[in-house]
Amino acid sequence: MRRHKSDRAIAVLTLLLLAIGLMVIYAIGPMRANFMNSAYGTEYDANYFFTHQLVSVVLAIGAFILAFKYPYEKVRTFAKWLMVAGLVASGLLALLALMGSSLASCQLGACRWYNLGALGSFQPAELIKLGLVLYLAQLVAERKKEGKLENSSDFWLPFGVVSGLSLCFVILVQKDLGTGVAVIAIILAILWMSGVSLRKFGLVLLVIFGLGVGAIISSPHRMERLMTFGGEADADSSYHIDNAMIAIGTGGFLGVGIGNSVQATGYLPESINDSVFAVMGETYGFMGLFTVVACFTVLLLRLLKTADRLAGLEERLVVIGTFAWVMAHVVVNIAAMTGLMPLTGITLPLLSYGGTSMVFLSLALGLSLQLSCYTERIVADEPVMQKVGAKRRRMQ
Amino acid sequence: MSNRKRSKFLKLLVIVAMGAVVFRLFFIQIIQHDEWVAKAAEQQTMQNTIVARRGEIYMMDGNEATVIVMNEPVWAIILDPMIADEERTKEIIDKYAAEQRQAEWKDVFGTEGLRYYVVARGVKRAAAEKIKAEQLPGVWFQEGVQRVYPEGQMATPLLGFVNAEGKGQYGVEGALDKELAGVNGVLKTVKDVNNIPLTIGSDNVRVPAVDGKNIVLSIDRNIQHAAEKALANALERSQASHASALVMDPRTGKIWAMANLPTYDAAKYVEVEDATVFQNGVVEDAYEPASVCKTFAFAAGIEEGVMKPESTYYNSGSLTIDGWPIENAYKGQYGQITMQTALNYSLNTGSMQALMWLGGSDSQITQTGREKLYEYYYKRFGFGQYTGIELFESPGLVVGPNEGYGLNSRYANMTFGQNLNLTMIQVATAFSAVVNGGEYFTPTIVAGEMVNGEFKQNPMREPVRQIISTNTSATMRKMLYNTRQGRRLAGVDKPGYYVGGKTGTAQVIRDGAYVMDETKATYVGFGTSGDADSSDLPEYVIMVKIWEEGKRIEGERDAMPLFDEISNFMLDYLKIKPKES
Repeated sequence: MRRHKSDRAIAVLTLLLLAIGLMVIYAIGPMRANFMNSAYGTEYDANYFFTHQLVSVVLAIGAFILAFKYPYEKVRTFAKWLMVAGLVASGLLALLALMGSSLASCQLGACRWYNLGALGSFQPAELIKLGLVLYLAQLVAERKKEGKLENSSDFWLPFGVVSGLSLCFVILVQKDLGTGVAVIAIILAILWMSGVSLRKFGLVLLVIFGLGVGAIISSPHRMERLMTFGGEADADSSYHIDNAMIAIGTGGFLGVGIGNSVQATGYLPESINDSVFAVMGETYGFMGLFTVVACFTVLLLRLLKTADRLAGLEERLVVIGTFAWVMAHVVVNIAAMTGLMPLTGITLPLLSYGGTSMVFLSLALGLSLQLSCYTERIVADEPVMQKVGAKRRRMQ
Repeated sequence: MSNRKRSKFLKLLVIVAMGAVVFRLFFIQIIQHDEWVAKAAEQQTMQNTIVARRGEIYMMDGNEATVIVMNEPVWAIILDPMIADEERTKEIIDKYAAEQRQAEWKDVFGTEGLRYYVVARGVKRAAAEKIKAEQLPGVWFQEGVQRVYPEGQMATPLLGFVNAEGKGQYGVEGALDKELAGVNGVLKTVKDVNNIPLTIGSDNVRVPAVDGKNIVLSIDRNIQHAAEKALANALERSQASHASALVMDPRTGKIWAMANLPTYDAAKYVEVEDATVFQNGVVEDAYEPASVCKTFAFAAGIEEGVMKPESTYYNSGSLTIDGWPIENAYKGQYGQITMQTALNYSLNTGSMQALMWLGGSDSQITQTGREKLYEYYYKRFGFGQYTGIELFESPGLVVGPNEGYGLNSRYANMTFGQNLNLTMIQVATAFSAVVNGGEYFTPTIVAGEMVNGEFKQNPMREPVRQIISTNTSATMRKMLYNTRQGRRLAGVDKPGYYVGGKTGTAQVIRDGAYVMDETKATYVGFGTSGDADSSDLPEYVIMVKIWEEGKRIEGERDAMPLFDEISNFMLDYLKIKPKES
């Protein structure tokens, strides 16, 4: 396939969202610093959060360009190793946490971060997500090419082991249900578009649902969050959702204006991270949030469109994985902030404060942008290989 | 399902999810907007009252203003019995603030689960600091302000008190509560989660408190003190229970003393059992002042030109009006006598004669007479009306000349001060006008205010109206002087002074009928320098009242000596020079 121009919309929207995020942190970073200092005795400078976010954005743009330029053909050679690295890093983190090392950063018994001192922090779950996207796409495409997609030992075993390990680390060890939802979304989306039968897909869905129920019941913390949503609130979660909705609701049509957010002065927990959507709602109002939602919607639809028009299944699944990644984060975050879903603690892609998620998602988006250079004019409906496989089944 | 359909499903998923989000946002941000704004305001705004400082009350001390009701910081002691060390807390608090302790220790420490108990209130600075220094655990302090009274119980019924809610009650504190209280300020601001005010938002309000005025009363504490002493002496002498005195400047309407006994301790107003002591009898108690009113009936007659002091009439000792015989209290002076004699012996037939003359008749009370008397009493002298003094007042009552039944009888009674209700302030103010040359001044008790420690005097007042001519006024002074002199044993008033006045011994209505066993005694008079021919204007007017329920207390026997005592004090205090003879 001859390379043509990339889908500019993906690039523009990615950069636009990064810029919006930077603007929001600029407006509320000082309030956050002020609140943290008075509440926890820290000594954050007023510009601390903005400068850090600026560094993150620069890194993210760098990652985006790198992934756009670096040929996918080379990326796929180490996709497996990225996956392994993600799992090993997660395992190592759990081990370090068990040993009580200061390298593991833990909150409320959930150890999600490597504390790298001056270099900042690193969340291995992000590596898992990227690894999953690349590895599962490759696994599915190769098995399909070999016609072994429905084969238990050649496909379902590695698929199950890698997916299971990832979920195990993210949900059970790191106790990060939000990232878990994203991981599940990536796995399901790739499986969905792989062409496995609806029956098999349904089975996987059932297993994940079963595991999900088990995970919720096994953790009182998660139970609480669900209860919050059901009406029997635990104080923290319902406080968080209440204040998110107060922020969004007070925004009205045009918002209170930059720097006038009161909810960001300490009422709203995680105002610069998970709750940034709510602060934006207060600051920019319905128009602002509509714009953000529209940006994400168009980005998601462009990713879908790119995926549809890619001839190769592997490339298509990489884009679909990225799509699921963004989609899960956006929907789960916004739904929680607007009281449509229980609170899970998940970032809003490209907008929330924090480097790791931004950089890794930028890598995935950069790669998708690169792949958008290889789309065909017509929608690739049934890939040739599948037709062959189907024929073979009929012949048997 | 083909890949294409699966992809379309994902597309649908995106559109449905994002559509739901937009719909939800529209609902929260546009439709529910006001609700969320209200909810936000609930937690984000903080409204504090900036309490205005209550003004202090001053009195005059000669020409200086001196503070008479002050503010003093006091502390309430609050206890958390769960944390407090019982033995030590009891010991320390009882050592320094036993008197202010208002809670029983067994209630404080014996109640299960109690975390907050106000054990003492009104603890003074010295004691509070000593207790603080002990650093008792679970004990904290709340600062407040309380009124203190450096002059003790002096003038308390005039001053009133401040209740536990900080509101002025009775007296000056009650009547001038608005001025004294000032206006509390408001601090309404958006705050952050740690209650730090923010500059965000356009609704932030900061209205500074306007402190209450420091009011300087026209009361002279020395005169007030002398009047109260005289009242105490009079109660002792007459074995009566209640007495009031009013001393005023007839040339300006300024009140110099307004005294009532019994009094009470404003700091312990809660302990007062008989609430009537809260009343300032001088302005709030309308009564029948009796024969002092003859002064006014005679003034009306002279002003109307129908009589002179030397005009004569036939005194038979009684008159029958509307079928009711009205008798003189004094039995004697029968036959053809002058009006001066009638006033000297306070003969009811004399004042009724004045009323008949007012109506153009020698022997009948007429409608014209009643209307004339009403014009003088109500319109000119201001009887049955608020005087306009800056205190709670009773309006009293003067029934119109053509209202109701037994008109002639009522008006006959009114000439000698029965069948009408007047306050002392009404009588003394009208009396001042009668003797000061005829100018009626609205009485006032406020001399000015203290602003930053400086006494800012209110401007001089102008008379409201001329109620009688200067000639009539001079004639009345002479008559009152003669009345007093004619009935006095020599030597009560010092030589060289010109003191006049009139007694009143009022019968009291109980259950709708006058009773025989109780009378209230009144005296109203003036003083200045001069001999018998003096034409000097009066320097002061004094009105006194003394009574006890169920007792006969008489004007001449009981009220006049009380007047004498205050009058002699005034002659000295005002340094009025006696006329050399």
